[in-house]
Amino acid sequence: MATTELVPRPATLVKVTSESGDVMSFEMQFNDGSTMDSLPGQFVEVSVQGYGEATFAVSRLAQDRKRFSVSVKRMGHLTKMLHRAAQDEVVGVRGPYGRPFPVDDWKGRGIYIIGGGIGLAPLRPVVDHVAAHRSDFAGLEILFGARSPQDMLFKNDLAAWAKDSFIKLHTTIDFPAEGWNSRVGFVPVVAKDLGVRPDNRVAVVCGPPIMIKLTAVALKESGWPEEGIYTTLEAKMQCGIGQCGRCNIGAKLVCKDGPVFRLDQIPSNAL
Amino acid sequence: MSGSWKLLKRESLGRFLDELTAGAELWVPRRKGTRWEFDRYEPGKPAAFPASIIEVSAKALFFPRRRPIARFSPKAKWSLEPVELPAAPRIVMGMHPCDVAGVRYMDRVFLGNDHPDRLYEAERNRTTIVGMRCSEMKPTCHCTDRNLSPDETQGMDAVFAETESGFLFRALTEKGERLLGSPLLEATEQKPEAKEWPKGRHLVPAPDELMELYDDDFWLEASDICLTCGGCTFACPTCTCYLVADEKFGDEGERVTAWDSCQFLSFSRETSGRNPRRTNAARLRNRTLDKFAYSFHKHGMSSCTGCGRCVLICPIRRSFPQLGMKLKERAEDKKKSKARVS
Repeated sequence: MATTELVPRPATLVKVTSESGDVMSFEMQFNDGSTMDSLPGQFVEVSVQGYGEATFAVSRLAQDRKRFSVSVKRMGHLTKMLHRAAQDEVVGVRGPYGRPFPVDDWKGRGIYIIGGGIGLAPLRPVVDHVAAHRSDFAGLEILFGARSPQDMLFKNDLAAWAKDSFIKLHTTIDFPAEGWNSRVGFVPVVAKDLGVRPDNRVAVVCGPPIMIKLTAVALKESGWPEEGIYTTLEAKMQCGIGQCGRCNIGAKLVCKDGPVFRLDQIPSNAL
Repeated sequence: MSGSWKLLKRESLGRFLDELTAGAELWVPRRKGTRWEFDRYEPGKPAAFPASIIEVSAKALFFPRRRPIARFSPKAKWSLEPVELPAAPRIVMGMHPCDVAGVRYMDRVFLGNDHPDRLYEAERNRTTIVGMRCSEMKPTCHCTDRNLSPDETQGMDAVFAETESGFLFRALTEKGERLLGSPLLEATEQKPEAKEWPKGRHLVPAPDELMELYDDDFWLEASDICLTCGGCTFACPTCTCYLVADEKFGDEGERVTAWDSCQFLSFSRETSGRNPRRTNAARLRNRTLDKFAYSFHKHGMSSCTGCGRCVLICPIRRSFPQLGMKLKERAEDKKKSKARVS
């Protein structure tokens, strides 16, 4: 038994996928064969021994709940070390932590997913869940934006979603690029153009803070109440369990009271 | 439970402490340079108990500054193994009420959730706290303003007070009772002198009034001379923010938790460079509101015990009681101007 929650369990990388120039996905499973009991929106702490650990959203959970993935953008020291890791290497994992998206409360409603860049990672399990339980939901619409065609993540998923008649997919890139024949423009601008109405829908937004903020503005202009918009916030975290003290927004801890928040439940200065 | 007072004659103190070390590690206050802190008792070396505040809080005995949580061999791919839980019995003697209140708050942080910290729990379980009533309040002490008193015994296993003739001890829990069985402790009719302590003042606005001042200029004015050294957070008996890091020394590696401070620029800085608390003002506001507002939401009690250690350590002599008073003035002004407008 771990002496403290802070000591991770070993997990072996079973598949390493390069998603884009600076994003890789790591599929892994616990060495002791135990399951990852994460719900959409929850996160884990992943360690590279000797280099520390960092917080990542679970970006996919296999049906047997044994294999799970994180998708990692190369940003700092730890993510650089992770990007060097190859299949069969061992990392440490603890979690899942945090409050998940209340997908059960959304039954009967349409789901509007809006992701920007690596912000799509925590939203993919929501897409997976809604698509797998499609009879429970009144539709699934996805808007995903990336900087350029090369930065489009989860290309296999995007192709599959585009073919799925249950899913309405929109993709956009920030600036025009050769060979790109979908939308061009920042996510909030495209969200405004699309003008999806809030009628019996829930919007789920994740991306860089500025994108979340401006997308919320765009949605509100289309008549969305704050109670209909969910987001998952990023913050510097170390413990993931409400102790280390650095991820608070006022009295709320992003790791424990979030990372999933309904827009009306976070202070306006959080974004 | 609480037993009756027992008297330990002054000349028997050394023998009593020697007796205690037979069954446990004993920690007592020790003067180091200009300040007091806790140290292992050395038999034969006289012990003394300050009448009031021990400048270096006992926090580190329960939550060490640097605390290995696992060990690994840097050469192996994965060899992280959790450290053994400490189990040797330990007695901490002479903690004052404000320091013990700090432990009560830490209990909520580390044990009052779904992921109890087993290392902290082990430190708590192996420790018997023999607290000490203060016989004076220093100018920086303001525990009476924080719902505490120099006589408070909550959280202690036993308590003692220094008198003319020696020390009066009283057990408060079974753990405490076990320590006080020595024949050196005599039955007595004596009781510690009841002192009149200053009445508690409400120096700091109530949590909801404080939150009204979130966007006030006050924080800018109050923080412009703060050096952001983090001294206040390290001295505070309830500040427990920490970081997790891997450290390598040749063939040995340790994963540790180490004290961190919300006053440091890098504390909440994200890898992207985004920093929600970039300014001194934002960091001073975060600490102040955490002490006097957020802590009520998070753990049901204020995390300021009124010990004044932050004042004693501060290089610019920032006084939290004074800060509180200024905030109170600001809150009153705000109320008045609101009343005028509506």
